[in-house]
Amino acid sequence: MSVTASNERGVAKAGPKPRAYFQLSGDGLGGGLTRGLLQLVVVVAFFVAWELGVRFGGISGFLFGQPSGIFANFGRMIMNGQLFVDTGYTALEAITGFVLGTIAGTAIGLSLWYSVGVAKLVEPFVIAMNSVPKIALAPLIILWFGTGYSSKIALAIAMTAIVALITAYQAARDADKDLQRLLRSMGADKHRIFFKAVVPSSLPAVIATFRINIGFALVGAVVGEFISSQHGLGHLVFTASNLYDLNTVWVGLFSLMILGFALYHIVNFIERRVLPWKQDLSTRQVAA
Amino acid sequence: MSDKARQLQITGLAKTFATKTGSVPVVRDLTFDIHEQDFVSIIGPSGCGKTTIFNMIAGLLDADAGTMRYRGEPVDGLRGRIGYMMQKDLLFPWRTVLQNCLLGLEMRNVDRREAREKALDYLETFGLKGFENAYPSTLSGGQRQRVALIRTLVMDPDILLLDEPFSALDYQTRLHLEGVLVDAVETAGKTVILITHDVDEAVALSKRVVVLSGRPSKVKAIHDIDLASHSPIESRSDPNFSRYFHLLCNELDIQTQ
Repeated sequence: MSVTASNERGVAKAGPKPRAYFQLSGDGLGGGLTRGLLQLVVVVAFFVAWELGVRFGGISGFLFGQPSGIFANFGRMIMNGQLFVDTGYTALEAITGFVLGTIAGTAIGLSLWYSVGVAKLVEPFVIAMNSVPKIALAPLIILWFGTGYSSKIALAIAMTAIVALITAYQAARDADKDLQRLLRSMGADKHRIFFKAVVPSSLPAVIATFRINIGFALVGAVVGEFISSQHGLGHLVFTASNLYDLNTVWVGLFSLMILGFALYHIVNFIERRVLPWKQDLSTRQVAA
Repeated sequence: MSDKARQLQITGLAKTFATKTGSVPVVRDLTFDIHEQDFVSIIGPSGCGKTTIFNMIAGLLDADAGTMRYRGEPVDGLRGRIGYMMQKDLLFPWRTVLQNCLLGLEMRNVDRREAREKALDYLETFGLKGFENAYPSTLSGGQRQRVALIRTLVMDPDILLLDEPFSALDYQTRLHLEGVLVDAVETAGKTVILITHDVDEAVALSKRVVVLSGRPSKVKAIHDIDLASHSPIESRSDPNFSRYFHLLCNELDIQTQ
């Protein structure tokens, strides 16, 4: 090697650890433990203020519910298992609908990359379908699929599939053309280019849609339960509100919140597993 | 020059692009030969269609007219036979350094273990040992371009097409990588076609330089560069270096006085 000086410079840099360019967690709020405590204090203060407001501040417990009552109901429904049954139904409907809708939509969206002609042909139909508020399909879907869980799954699919399709198609279309040209110069055929370049480069966008779609799937399941059902958190909220039982309504809503929160974190977990190469970036970009 | 020593013959190549405002002839009647184990630089005014020429050689773009012969056989392009390297390193961000190096070999269904060993050898030679499992986003520009070079070399292509591969790098890194490149192609006996806008780089590295005219580009002159060594620092200190440098600058109508 004739350029020893600069070569040594290159070697001196060696070592697999990415250099830390930015100081992280310099947010002035201390570490994760302090932040967690602070968040807990906010939650507790919120419920205490609510409770005190109902007892002494003239807030109507009839219209707004009361934390002590909510917690009592919450405990009772956990003890008799009803909350688990309802949460289980809603979770199952939302997750099944999400998985089926997202897989179908993503697969179709990505494969539209193969043919610009077909994609152009289908485009107005996709836009038209996307323009219909999917919730408006609920009565029809319940007529077709009945009042059981299958109609809620169908509604969750309707809520998620088109979004997944559009995102996946756009991501595939925007995949780096130079990477595809490079593969072509290496002699790759169209399928190879699709699986080695288009699909992996679309994954971040596709998975970002998971996060939106998991919420949409929950909306589909809950609205389906509002209209006609025997089980589920939507059923719980709907029937309790008809009885002006606000504390039970809140139990249903908070359970939905916890469910959505859990699903969101599951998606995050999946993202970290599927996109390990994204993590390096996102952890380094914070305080630029 | 016997027919055998000519690895690639390009004859009368032409390409016109249709735009909204009419057709733009980019390349017209392009003719030159590439010898076995040649190191040819193509220089020309910016926007003269150098990359278009590469895309035609690589088989990514069909020529409107002209022929290409590879070792005497007429071919449409050298798709699958060439190693293409561009200014952008084009590393796949979701692949580790090692997986990026193995990309070309995967396309050819080479035995995995064999390919892995070859790539690891290159990584060690190029000072990237320990980075096998790092993602490209954690590397410096010079390191990334070294990985791109390994990816190109490890495929063992017949011809390396290098499209301004070092132009985005700082001068020191660039000199270093030029040395790495010259060493590697000399050891492996490869043919290189290098597009560059850098006259200095063209003289230092090449055995021959093809000078193109402005658009539509055709060959203006071909110069043999006769320097004792083509390693990047020694060649720049060769007494003949500045003579070739001025000659090529004159060809490109760059004022050097």
